[in-house]
Amino acid sequence: MKPLRNALLGFALGCAVGAAAADERLTVYAVNAPLATFAERLAGDKAKVVMPVPPGRDPAFWRPSIADIAAVQAADLILLNGAGYAQWTTKTSLPRAKLVDSARAFTEAFIVIETITHSHGPEGEHSHQGIASHTWLDFAQAAQQAEAIAQALSRRLPDEKDAIAAALTVLKADLAALDARARSLGERLSGVALIASHPRYQYFARAYGLAIESLDWEAGETPSPEQWATFDALVTESGARALIWEGKPSDEAATSLAERGLAGSIFTTGANRGPADPGFVALMQRNLDDLDRVAETIATD
Amino acid sequence: MIDTLRLALAYIRFHAVKSAVLVVTLAAILAVPVGVSRLMAAAEESLLARAEATPFLIGARGSRLDLAMSALYFSDDLPEPTTMAAADAVWDSDLAAAIPLHLGFSARGLPIVGTTLDYFDFRSLSVAQGRGLALLGEAVLGAEAAQRLSLGPGSRLVSSPDNLFDLSGAYPLAMTVVGVLTPKGTADDRAVFVDVKTAWVIAGVGHGHDDVVPTEAELAAADTSAPLQADPAIVEFTEITPENIESFHFHGEPSRFPISAVIALPYDARAGAILQGRYLEPDRNDQIAVPREVIAGLLSQLFRIKSLIDAVVVTVGAAALLAVGLAVYLSLQLRRPEMATAFKLGGRRALIARLVAVESGLLLGAAIALAAAIAIGFEYVAADAAVWLIAQAAA
Repeated sequence: MKPLRNALLGFALGCAVGAAAADERLTVYAVNAPLATFAERLAGDKAKVVMPVPPGRDPAFWRPSIADIAAVQAADLILLNGAGYAQWTTKTSLPRAKLVDSARAFTEAFIVIETITHSHGPEGEHSHQGIASHTWLDFAQAAQQAEAIAQALSRRLPDEKDAIAAALTVLKADLAALDARARSLGERLSGVALIASHPRYQYFARAYGLAIESLDWEAGETPSPEQWATFDALVTESGARALIWEGKPSDEAATSLAERGLAGSIFTTGANRGPADPGFVALMQRNLDDLDRVAETIATD
Repeated sequence: MIDTLRLALAYIRFHAVKSAVLVVTLAAILAVPVGVSRLMAAAEESLLARAEATPFLIGARGSRLDLAMSALYFSDDLPEPTTMAAADAVWDSDLAAAIPLHLGFSARGLPIVGTTLDYFDFRSLSVAQGRGLALLGEAVLGAEAAQRLSLGPGSRLVSSPDNLFDLSGAYPLAMTVVGVLTPKGTADDRAVFVDVKTAWVIAGVGHGHDDVVPTEAELAAADTSAPLQADPAIVEFTEITPENIESFHFHGEPSRFPISAVIALPYDARAGAILQGRYLEPDRNDQIAVPREVIAGLLSQLFRIKSLIDAVVVTVGAAALLAVGLAVYLSLQLRRPEMATAFKLGGRRALIARLVAVESGLLLGAAIALAAAIAIGFEYVAADAAVWLIAQAAA
């Protein structure tokens, strides 16, 4: 098998056989914060995990520079979310041997959504089309994504296989706890119509039996009178009792919502990291706390 | 003896043209078989080296030779197309790494090879000028391709349309050349490399165009139950720029996108054997080929041809030698009066025979020296000539 050996020697990818020495830190790029957090928790200090999207930018619509792409290409592993998330990855040249499609195990479960084209922020006009991409908001799916990452890390760090497996067990336990809590919350909110300020919660709604209609408002921006009119019509149509904000609303927006007699809950998707990142699990706990409060309010009413 | 040598040299100088023709003819008779042999050996070496460096090729069922020749040397005879599912299946098997190849398009007569960045690592191709592929619509040129097209980083290169009369065929895509590869003396030197996604854009699987977003008025007037349809007059972009790259998208499931072949790189010998075994099922519509075996088969055919060439060369050489012998004999016949004069002047027969022998020896020596020079020259150019021959054969 001399040719095979030569080919493999020349093929400096490392993929499954190319185990990095245990004392060398892997460089792992993740397309969003949840995947980065999973990789950090799984690899510990054996990997340098990079989430290249600057704070305040939406990783789903971020456009990397040539230098950013070169840095990603040079990584040991590139963690993709799958489900069409981070469209830039479909328009750049990335080494397949380093790519980890974390959602590959549940492609059959992807949610097909309608196309909505709109424009905001430095990314310019963009579309939410084809497939809902915030897969990690179904915490069982998030656990599957963590498993895929653990598998890829174990291949690259065979000496750390046991440590990665142990870290995965702990992470999956945390995600299972989130899943159980979200299920319980879903049962309490069963039959209650909700509206979300942005189309992000398809997997969350499906997994936990919530009825969530989506608007197309930007986090932090005060909705215009026309947007409120659309909202009012949707409330009338759906009988919605609460609005889920993607981010902290402006005081004016919060007041307008309160005047309409609807409860408001902040549910951050955690796609990017803020200045003080509490970590994925803590962030989701906070989201569920807030939704819990809304459920309490609705139950009291 | 010195006098004989001087006389022989004087005779050769006096009959310079005749002597030169004799030397060149003899040198050619001696050098051609050596040259052909070296060229064949170099071609064999070059063909086998690339084949041996490629463990497996996977493609649709059909000619293994077409699969190997197109995937290794980018020949014009394409194998039946397969899909990205073939590459995904290899990755999913956890037995090998998979590198897809999309072939068939060309730019100014040179093959466009759509692949992933893994190909460059696998073939140890490094960038000599500019940078590697980063964005959709970019191209990296092999060293010979860059030289032949006189292009470098920053240039534009337009892909050739499939068929001028096929309106639904591949659109010409203006690509930006971002880099030139270091020469390797292989088929990669004369290729235009693009990301496989760029090849799909050329194939029409992916495209970019202005947004298909209706105005408020159109929306109000439209039948909301009907799907949104693009205006047939919408213009597709024929160049991918930073301004329009966001509009480029692909239709359909990526696993169904077309490719020509997959290079499979098993992680070890056992994984290779298992992978090979999986393609033995008769109902599969894809196949695995071991390039070394395919090319060895091709070479055995070539060697049969080589035997024929050898026989022709020997026959022609023998005929040429006879012709040279005849020329020498006739020359000696013509020199009879000259030799008779030398004899009458007191030259002994042995001296005259020695004079003729030294002249012949000098000519033969010169011919051998020239043949050796030609053979050494062949050694230098044989590898390049073999690559050129293979490229011509592939094209």
